[in-house]
Amino acid sequence: MTPTSEDDRLLIEAAQADPARFLEIYERYVDRIYAFVSRRTGDRAAAEDVTSQVFEQALRTIGRFEWRGVPLAAWLFRIASNALADHWRQRGRDAAGPPPDLPDSGELDDIDRRLALYQQVAQLPEVQRRVIEMRFVEEKSIREVAAALDRSEGAVKQLQLRALENLRKSMGGHG
Amino acid sequence: MAERDLIDRVNETVDAIIARDDATIALRDPELAPLARVAADLRHYVSPDFKARLRTTLERRTSMTTMTTPTAVREGFTTVTPYIRVPDPGLIEFLTQVFDAQETFSAAGGGGGMHREVRIGDSMLMIGEGSDAGGIMRIRPMAFHVFVQDVDAAYARAVAAGATALGEPADRHYGERAGFVRDPFGNHWYIATPLGPQSLASSQRAVTPVLHAKGAGEYMDFLTRALGAVEEIRAPGPSDEVRYARMRVGDAAIELGEADSMPGSFMLYVTDPDSLYQQAIAAGCRSIMPLSDQPYGRVGGVEDPIGNQWFFSRPATPPA
Repeated sequence: MTPTSEDDRLLIEAAQADPARFLEIYERYVDRIYAFVSRRTGDRAAAEDVTSQVFEQALRTIGRFEWRGVPLAAWLFRIASNALADHWRQRGRDAAGPPPDLPDSGELDDIDRRLALYQQVAQLPEVQRRVIEMRFVEEKSIREVAAALDRSEGAVKQLQLRALENLRKSMGGHG
Repeated sequence: MAERDLIDRVNETVDAIIARDDATIALRDPELAPLARVAADLRHYVSPDFKARLRTTLERRTSMTTMTTPTAVREGFTTVTPYIRVPDPGLIEFLTQVFDAQETFSAAGGGGGMHREVRIGDSMLMIGEGSDAGGIMRIRPMAFHVFVQDVDAAYARAVAAGATALGEPADRHYGERAGFVRDPFGNHWYIATPLGPQSLASSQRAVTPVLHAKGAGEYMDFLTRALGAVEEIRAPGPSDEVRYARMRVGDAAIELGEADSMPGSFMLYVTDPDSLYQQAIAAGCRSIMPLSDQPYGRVGGVEDPIGNQWFFSRPATPPA
């Protein structure tokens, strides 16, 4: 669900009055920002590092965010874009280049499609969800997953196929 | 395709995606392609553990920011009061002549000298006189940004009172007419009169401490972790260094800029000195004064990695 500008305004005012309310902004936008950053970095450690920087900077600077009707997501994407530029600068790439572009509408659609997919992961049967997380997040081999779940490698491969099929079906026309 | 065959081919595709190998061949297989696309998207699935860890980190930061919010500060003081250590009496006369400072309190202090408190406009400063041998606070010059009605007159009074000129009063691009001096004890005073309504003066008190730091950007992040400082302004210079920044700690402002570090000492009046002390230690400060109950309140102190000393105190008698 895309937050409305009124939701954004209330969230910002709440976080400016009480820093603890910043966590609501985090909960609402962390998946979206991670999805954007992850596409641009390619590796998980870098994506997590940059995403952390984005939210830590957002927390530091929320006090001087002036509400002018610009969506909160756009502000966070701008911070993310600069953090990505720093990331590449530190790695010696594109040292003199401009910051990465903000996401265009095609990329935003792509991010939304992925967020919908990720929400479906949480709906999978528990054991299928664990297989997906261990394979894709923890990057474990079939043998390691089998050992962790105390199942045969064949059974884990079958669970993996079922999980991917369930996700494809649940995405319907979006897949 | 037999299911056994599909299971293995999907698994090979997942292996290739995880290893960032070329998995495009799977996309040309009509049976495999829809599953391969789902698998490719899952490579960017955010780790639930990472999300929980980052949430915990942010939660700690926000609770820090809340903790330094001054609800029981000492009356007349903001959260942060600079503490200037000087070897001899004389600074207070200088401040009186130049800035019309008023002494509000004095008592015998450590090191055989006096502890004095002075008001300049709506700001408080503490001054410790006497030797620093065997003491915790060292004699070191500090830097301050001071707003006055007439910078030219204040600058002339400073020079007449023995200050060394560091920069004649001039209209500065940041909206102030400002002149810079070094007092007879080595402290820097950046004296300014606002040129227009957009000046910082509208949102700042009369005196704001200026922290010069080598690696000011990283130091600002450190202050957020250690003290819950909140960034308000950060103006980058030509090499992306912090040319000027302002952070807020509780209800007090501190200014920062990239320069050779010029550390000083600060008293922080807070509701919960124990938590702030522990947080500063956890962030990388070292203890220079364990927390203890003194006649004037509960107090403890730390020194941060660039040498600034922070003392956390809850006054013994809460304000009425």
